[in-house]
Amino acid sequence: MSTQPAHGDATIAVSDELAARDDMIVCREVDKWFGDFQALSGISATIKEQEIVVVLGPSGSGKSTWIRCINRLEAHQSGQIIVDGIELTNDLRNIEKIRSEVGMVFQQFNLFPHLTVLDNITLAPIWVRKKSRPEAEELAESLLERVGIPEQAQKFPGQLSGGQQQRVAIARALAMEPRVMLFDEPTSALDPEMIKEVLDVMEELARSGMTMMVVTHEMGFAREVADRIIFMEEGEIVEVGTPHHFFTEPAEERTKLFLSQVL
Amino acid sequence: MSDPREAARDASLSALGTRPPFYRDATVVRWIAQVGTLILVLAAMWFLATEAGDSLRARGANIDFDFISDYIGIQVGSGIDTNPDSGGRALWVGMVNTIRMAAAGIALASVIGVLVGLARLSSNWPLRRLAGVYVEALRNIPLLVQILVYAAVLATLPNVSFGMGPISGWIHVSNKGLSIPRVFVADGFYQWAVIMLIGAVVARITYRRLAEQREQTGAQTNAGAWATGIVAVFAIVGWWVHPIFGWLGSPLGSLADGVGAIPQGVVQLIAALAALAVAVWWIRRFLAQHRTPAGLTRLTDDDWFRMIFAVVAAAIVVLFVTVLWPGLSSWVVNSSSDGLGVLADKFGNGRTGPPIDAMRPDIVQPGNFANYGPAGLNLSIGFAAVYFGVVFYTAAFIAEIVRGGILAVPKGQSEAAQAVGLRRSTALRRVILPQALRVILPPVGNQYLNLTKNTSLAIAVGYSDLVQIGQTVYNQTGKTLQVMAVWMLFYLACSLTISAVVNFFNIRMRIVER
Repeated sequence: MSTQPAHGDATIAVSDELAARDDMIVCREVDKWFGDFQALSGISATIKEQEIVVVLGPSGSGKSTWIRCINRLEAHQSGQIIVDGIELTNDLRNIEKIRSEVGMVFQQFNLFPHLTVLDNITLAPIWVRKKSRPEAEELAESLLERVGIPEQAQKFPGQLSGGQQQRVAIARALAMEPRVMLFDEPTSALDPEMIKEVLDVMEELARSGMTMMVVTHEMGFAREVADRIIFMEEGEIVEVGTPHHFFTEPAEERTKLFLSQVL
Repeated sequence: MSDPREAARDASLSALGTRPPFYRDATVVRWIAQVGTLILVLAAMWFLATEAGDSLRARGANIDFDFISDYIGIQVGSGIDTNPDSGGRALWVGMVNTIRMAAAGIALASVIGVLVGLARLSSNWPLRRLAGVYVEALRNIPLLVQILVYAAVLATLPNVSFGMGPISGWIHVSNKGLSIPRVFVADGFYQWAVIMLIGAVVARITYRRLAEQREQTGAQTNAGAWATGIVAVFAIVGWWVHPIFGWLGSPLGSLADGVGAIPQGVVQLIAALAALAVAVWWIRRFLAQHRTPAGLTRLTDDDWFRMIFAVVAAAIVVLFVTVLWPGLSSWVVNSSSDGLGVLADKFGNGRTGPPIDAMRPDIVQPGNFANYGPAGLNLSIGFAAVYFGVVFYTAAFIAEIVRGGILAVPKGQSEAAQAVGLRRSTALRRVILPQALRVILPPVGNQYLNLTKNTSLAIAVGYSDLVQIGQTVYNQTGKTLQVMAVWMLFYLACSLTISAVVNFFNIRMRIVER
């Protein structure tokens, strides 16, 4: 319910202890450069357990870079990222641990095209969690049931529609039984009529109590499902607030400008 | 009414539903053109062949292949037979040497190529640079130079010396090459093979049953381990008990007699009928594939040609076995009878020794210099020079292909693999390489062909591959054209075989899409 504007140092209370017990993701003063270009500057935010956070912002504002830093697909250069009490550093063991606790869904699905849907989902449980094949397949089948496509298990990704592929990708991430799910523009590559089937799955996931961080352009989803909205521009967090606050009485000029363009 | 367009429209309206004259019918014109092309090509080939034959005859050059069966008195440096009793045998020794070199070369070049290719993409700086230097150096120096350098370096090894040598005489290295124990098929091998065959069948049944059990109950059944264990037990027990199958000799002997007694006409009839049956079966299957619920789909010219060729091929086979070469049938009967007879002799008659045996290398001194005798398996310096030459050279190209193939896999794939927590090595094996293989396989197939053809450079260091032996054969007999025909056919056959294998895997690798 807090409507604190997160812009500027003064308003952000950085606690001295590492992270509270129910803090799932903690970012502190995270900076990231691509060469001379600063993609993230001074990102500080905390995502609580079971919280649904939607990250909005114009293209190139650093949303995707930030979410990719959280499971180390990109390495941040300064600041701290702490996921479920584990700090993301160069320690390979920590990276491995965090990756197996954080599920990620990509804009381009990135399913493995040479494996069947079932094998896509069972690959990580078998090789990382060391599950037996029947056990992993049972899990995969229940997950396919959950995302609504149990009949596609033996098909290859290329034989599915975009919406079905993205649902398989969600099932694949869930198969690792993650504590947090990151969604990097999950519906941006989909035809309009397929967006809803993916958003429905995400809503169901949100209701089940999963901690979620979602980069998206789906304002409807942000309004309906999010607990908090983080608005970014030019690598900085501009404004943080509840959907109600954000869509009805945004504090910042830049937010208003963005909303006037997308709504 | 004077408008020509109006008139043309009236004319075409009145012609509705009538067939055009044949010279304007697209189907007929196309067929005439294609059949015409075919006839022209065949006529040209016939003309060239008869011309060449005539001019050769006019010069008095004989184009017979007698040297294949005649004794031509040449010696071969290394191979399965160093004193071949005929020209054909000599060439066969060369072919075996070439095939050996190519097969072993392909195996090692693939391994080195993949490792160097991976190293070039490694995040380990020294490793990456080293692999880069390897590729750049080896693919930019001519292969012939490399082979000569290896030969020169290996020639500096010490002479053959008597005495036990290292590991109580099991291995010898010298400037004559490497001599290692020869492992060979001994007395009881075929009896043992029968036991192994039974073991394989039992293992297969057990494997199926255990796999099914696992499928149903989900319990770990270790089907693979059981199957391997069963084969191992059969192999070990069979080592001593194989004489119990000695009785197989007499039934095989009577089978050989039975086959030998089949009259020529029966074989001709069976072959002709089989050819026709295959053609009919193939055409029926072909048509069945083109049948949709709405009826037969439109057949293209290609489809028609295929069906016509199937009939023509069957007709040629029938003509061949009945008229052109009737002796073929009796030859088939006699040789299968002989083959069965040879097999029958491998059983019984006190064959109680081990199925496989090995001999230590021996050292002999026929003249001034000591050399390795025929007991061990001798790999000459020439072999090593050519082998390392083609392997290292081809591996450099394969490395680049592997690197390119891996880079062709979208970055999202490795990101997705990382995001689900796979380790780099697992991601490489399970996600990246299987996809890269689709890109890698066709050009690597080309490299395999290159390697096979490049083994003919063996002539530079005197290793007795097919080309080197062939040259000796035509120097001795003067049958240059015939030997060259054998060369070309052999390399063509090798290349087609490799292509077929690569294509087979390429099709299996294909990613399924809608």
